[in-house]
Amino acid sequence: MSSYIPLSHREQWADITPIPQDDGPDPLVPIMYSTEYRDAMDHFRAISLAKEHSERALELTEAIIRMNPAHYTVWQFRMATLLALNKDLETELELMNEFARENLKSYQVWHHRLLLLTEISPQSPSKEIDYIHDSLLPDPKNYHTWAYLHWLYSHFSSLGRISEADWDREVRWCEEMLRTDGRNNSAWGWRWFLMMSRPGGKGTQDGGKGEITYALKAIHLIPHNVSAWNYLRGILTHFKLPLAPLSPAVVPYTEGSTAFAPVDSSSFDFPLPSVPLPAHTPLPVPLALEFQADALAEQRRTGEASAIFAELSQQFDRMRAGYWEYRRRACE
Amino acid sequence: MDPPRAQQRTFRRNAHVAYFQRCLRALPTAAQGHDPNRITIAYFCLSALDLLGALDDHVALEQRQSWADWIWSLQSPSGGFRGSPYMTTLDDHTSPPHLPSTYTALMTLAVLRAPLDRLNVPGLISFISSCQCPDGSFSPLPAADEYISAGFQNDVRMSYCANVVADVIDAGLPTQTQTDFIARCKTWEGGYASRPGVIESQGGTTYCSVAALSMMGTIPEEPAASIRWLLQRQIGGFQGRPGKLEDVCYSFWCGAAITILGHAGLINAEADRAFLLAAQSPLGGFGKEPDDYPDPFHSYLALAALALSHQDGGLKQLDPRWNVSRETANWLREEMIRVA
Ligand SMILES: [Zn+2]
Repeated sequence: MSSYIPLSHREQWADITPIPQDDGPDPLVPIMYSTEYRDAMDHFRAISLAKEHSERALELTEAIIRMNPAHYTVWQFRMATLLALNKDLETELELMNEFARENLKSYQVWHHRLLLLTEISPQSPSKEIDYIHDSLLPDPKNYHTWAYLHWLYSHFSSLGRISEADWDREVRWCEEMLRTDGRNNSAWGWRWFLMMSRPGGKGTQDGGKGEITYALKAIHLIPHNVSAWNYLRGILTHFKLPLAPLSPAVVPYTEGSTAFAPVDSSSFDFPLPSVPLPAHTPLPVPLALEFQADALAEQRRTGEASAIFAELSQQFDRMRAGYWEYRRRACE
Repeated sequence: MDPPRAQQRTFRRNAHVAYFQRCLRALPTAAQGHDPNRITIAYFCLSALDLLGALDDHVALEQRQSWADWIWSLQSPSGGFRGSPYMTTLDDHTSPPHLPSTYTALMTLAVLRAPLDRLNVPGLISFISSCQCPDGSFSPLPAADEYISAGFQNDVRMSYCANVVADVIDAGLPTQTQTDFIARCKTWEGGYASRPGVIESQGGTTYCSVAALSMMGTIPEEPAASIRWLLQRQIGGFQGRPGKLEDVCYSFWCGAAITILGHAGLINAEADRAFLLAAQSPLGGFGKEPDDYPDPFHSYLALAALALSHQDGGLKQLDPRWNVSRETANWLREEMIRVA
């Protein structure tokens, strides 16, 4: 047996009558609790009923959270206790850093962190931003971490505590993330927030030119990059721009397809694909064929568009054969 | 190095029945993290046995009744359900009802065919209304407490749960702010993120958004962009986001969203099915991908995904919005009329 000393045998807890869980005569999915967890919860129920916001409540809630970081009621009680006792919340933030290192990350850990930052309300969130940037390095697609970074910028910019220089620095950090991994869809989404959807985003000020250029350059580096193609289409949709004028940048990727769309590139003012294309680029690139087909459909050249959809369906993207066939039929 | 394991190709019905029965009887210490949400694990297991058509044969009537009693014990005096008895201290304040648990409790009672005379419908309506925030979102617990409604817990998963419950009891929640909230979750990619402004779409949050909108009787804006994004996620099975690996749960999230949008026929069902079957564990249940340990969440959603395409003789048809068998959904509708 373990050397665990039950709480009721400790002087600090002697005055508490534990409340066991009443699971009824025939419970569903009973859990084989560890002795420590059961003991801690029996005491937590008691102090929770008594609304006891005390030092020992902090110790107990920490112990439970270490065993079960998803315990929302325990987190909530802990926050109320921290505030009631006027505790130093920076110390709590340190504890959260330790939790993150021990991989006790859960929805609740992020929520708790967010509430701490709201309470601490630093004049500049830069230290917290640096911390989040660092924690994305080993786990660069963690949805919660990105959602939290988004909250940080939204919250502190609404308080007027993010300067233009801060925004510029964040854009450079995001570009570095995309240089490291051009396929990181989260980083693409972050770019969209920084350039397009945040108030004052610089990508909204030039009619799309800058963001189209950025996306095309990324495509020219990694022609099969879904995220970059989706970003490009997102920009065109946002500005309600036609697809066809970008054909000169797309046509080289359609090689191998019988579909041929002559393009006039004389006045084309966007980056063109490298010559030759990046090594090991299987051709044609289905995303480029889709782009061309949509461009043709937009110009009511439905015959040519449906020929490309047919090729996608029958040859170049068999996984989505049904979808491409549906697109083909919709052309007619 | 181990040779690659022979991929499973046949549907192992009996192993799955045994797996879910084992989970219902006891979960290991490692499952302690699910303590506050046991009703949801119970829902996965019982709805799975329902889809497998195994409830009547493998669970005695008295057993079903006494399980239903356990669920009734979770109903809060003020309406709504708690996730488990973990905070039962005879004080409603220390153990408030919880929105996702309320959804799964209601579905599980229906799966067990428990008469719903004991359902506190007015309380339920006031509970979900108390979770609704001015921006149209829902919080997991009554929103009056700042702790609950601050931050990013109010996401489209909560909108989904609230809308299923509202759909079942015909709660008539105000919809305009809700649909605005969900529309603001749509991203540059065509799918939906967890919250407005959150940076990228995800299969699960796209399902929740599309299903919630459809239960409110509205059609999502520009569904073509969503359909494109959802089908782009198929790489055999489905991935949750571009650049991520396949995971059986996304066969349900993406597959059901596509189905609700009216395009189930566009899914490459053969490739999806091959991936799902390969993720079966030899002992029953499904891992999130082949060779992973099974868990109730992935095991249920994999079955639900298979049931969507009605290909396995042993599986009942699925209601893609409520995420229970059509049979159970129909029973629940009838039962609500009976107790009204
Ligand atoms: Zn999953």
